[in-house]
Amino acid sequence: MLALRLARGTHPIVLLRRLMVAAASAGVGFLLLCTLGHALGHPEAAGGSAARLLWCLVPLAAAMQLAVAVARTDPATRPQPGLSSVGLGPVGLALLAAASTAVSAAVGSALALFSFLYLRGDLGGEPFGGSVADVLGAGQPLPYAGVLTLLFVVPALTGAAVAVALRPRKPRPDNAKSPDPQKPVAAAGQPSAAHTTVSTGLPWGVALTAAGIALGTYASRTASSPSDGLLPLPGRLDTIPAGVVGGWVLIAIGLVLACPGLTHLCGRLLASGRPGALRLLAGRVLQEEAVRLGRPLGVLCAVASAALAASQLYGTALDSTGARLFGPLTGVGAAVVMACATATVLTVALETKGARIDTTAALGRIGVSSGLLRKAAALRAGVLVAVLAPMSWAVAELASLPLSR
Amino acid sequence: MEAPPDNDVLWARSLHYAHDGTPALAGVSVGVREGEILAVTGPRASGKTTLLQCLAGQLTPQSGEVWFNSSPVHTMGPLARERLRRDRFGWIDTEPQLVPELTAWENAALPLLLRGSPHRAAKTAAMEWLERLDVGDCARKRPAALLQSQRQRIAIARALASDPSVLFADEPSAPLHRADRAHVLRTLTTAARSHTITVVLATHDEEVAALADRTIALVDGRRVGSLAAAEKEGQAECSLSV
Repeated sequence: MLALRLARGTHPIVLLRRLMVAAASAGVGFLLLCTLGHALGHPEAAGGSAARLLWCLVPLAAAMQLAVAVARTDPATRPQPGLSSVGLGPVGLALLAAASTAVSAAVGSALALFSFLYLRGDLGGEPFGGSVADVLGAGQPLPYAGVLTLLFVVPALTGAAVAVALRPRKPRPDNAKSPDPQKPVAAAGQPSAAHTTVSTGLPWGVALTAAGIALGTYASRTASSPSDGLLPLPGRLDTIPAGVVGGWVLIAIGLVLACPGLTHLCGRLLASGRPGALRLLAGRVLQEEAVRLGRPLGVLCAVASAALAASQLYGTALDSTGARLFGPLTGVGAAVVMACATATVLTVALETKGARIDTTAALGRIGVSSGLLRKAAALRAGVLVAVLAPMSWAVAELASLPLSR
Repeated sequence: MEAPPDNDVLWARSLHYAHDGTPALAGVSVGVREGEILAVTGPRASGKTTLLQCLAGQLTPQSGEVWFNSSPVHTMGPLARERLRRDRFGWIDTEPQLVPELTAWENAALPLLLRGSPHRAAKTAAMEWLERLDVGDCARKRPAALLQSQRQRIAIARALASDPSVLFADEPSAPLHRADRAHVLRTLTTAARSHTITVVLATHDEEVAALADRTIALVDGRRVGSLAAAEKEGQAECSLSV
């Protein structure tokens, strides 16, 4: 109830972010229900339905990531003097955030159920002349327990993810805020945790990406190449060699691991030489925010690479078999994943801005103009795009090369 | 409109300011002479910080005038005030508000870099001031790795390195221990006197005020003759209301 009460007084922008969570959850819930519909309509193709269910994990993971990013940015989840003085400490706030995320996701699930029933024609009428209804297993009675279970999955998982992500942790001696301001946080040099992550992440990420590309190439060469389509999403996961899928997973993990290091490198590059105030501010902030910003950026790069590779592979494979490989549900899934990844990056960028609000105010007091800060932000974004976009393209090319031969 | 007196570098008349309706300043007039150290004393919530922010052009008073070197600060646009803050004023916060991503010397050199001075000159000036304030050995560390007193000294170096006309210090010694407090204030006042920098120093500490050339007292957003008289007045009001 408190979550709802707090939601009533929140800023429209915050509500808009929660609405994004609801929309993502609606998309994932709809895909899950569609899987159920497919299973109902095609009881003979159980393997295909299971593969579809597996593919649903990708949008589900993207939605969970978005939910966690939104909950981190939410002003209601930060320690507030007003709530802590009535006894709602960090644990209470984490549970509160989990509850409000679950509420948003449940709204999305309800929306998904409504649109699913509408498209099946259960609410009367035949939308799209009944062409979609066939895919969704129309005419079959719905198992209500199954529907409720599937709809319960997204709110429960996103809520749990938020509760785990925001749980109060014991302050580690090297990166937490020291309780005593008279004492330094780190004995010497840098807050080390962030920098070790960055420095170890990059080689691991590069190695994993390279291994993924190599594995994909090797597996696609040795396995007997299936004649009909290369990666028929979804439902025919069994027609592509498992090694290729494994390679793609490795590439995705590698990109996520490598991106913080790359972001850090971009920042170092920006502030190298004899920088003026603009390059100094832009570069050093990028170096500092590398970990926070790098991971969602890595996810976005992986998604972009996958989208590029898929469009390259299917752009040619579409008409040769006559079958529609890019079905409407694949489109919904891809849209959900891409929208979630983009929204997560934007939300994290907002979070970094919020975390630096004190510094920004202090800079304003010594006469730094807001125009300079905007220029620095634009410079950061520009450098990141200039480095990461060609990298995503190159990875997509390399990953799809063996399959498109 | 009456022109400001010639010997005052900074001059304000009947300033009124309210934070979202909560009155903070109610008709404060003050003149700051060239090269002097002026202490603004008063208990918490007496309007010291608001007065300093109005004088430094961070806030625009809702009524009243602020003049700096015969130019009206209260009618300036935001861009002109930003430039004034950057080029002529220095500011030291209660908490040392450094940029956490930059090293100590980069923090101290930031105002100079913002003015467009060359990298090497800015670094030399910043290092010089860090040495003078006994934090030269921390120049390559980031604020997170330093003690609070070291950070505050870096904030002071940042304010002094750009050679401002007027330096505003809002309770600069409040978060420090007694020994650090005395040292920080001594270095600040010595540097100001040797470089003829005008200083406006807000404090609630009588000892700190003793270092200044002149003291004005604020209570509840008004200037009073002395703190003791104002407190007596407050007590009388209390006893009446019981």
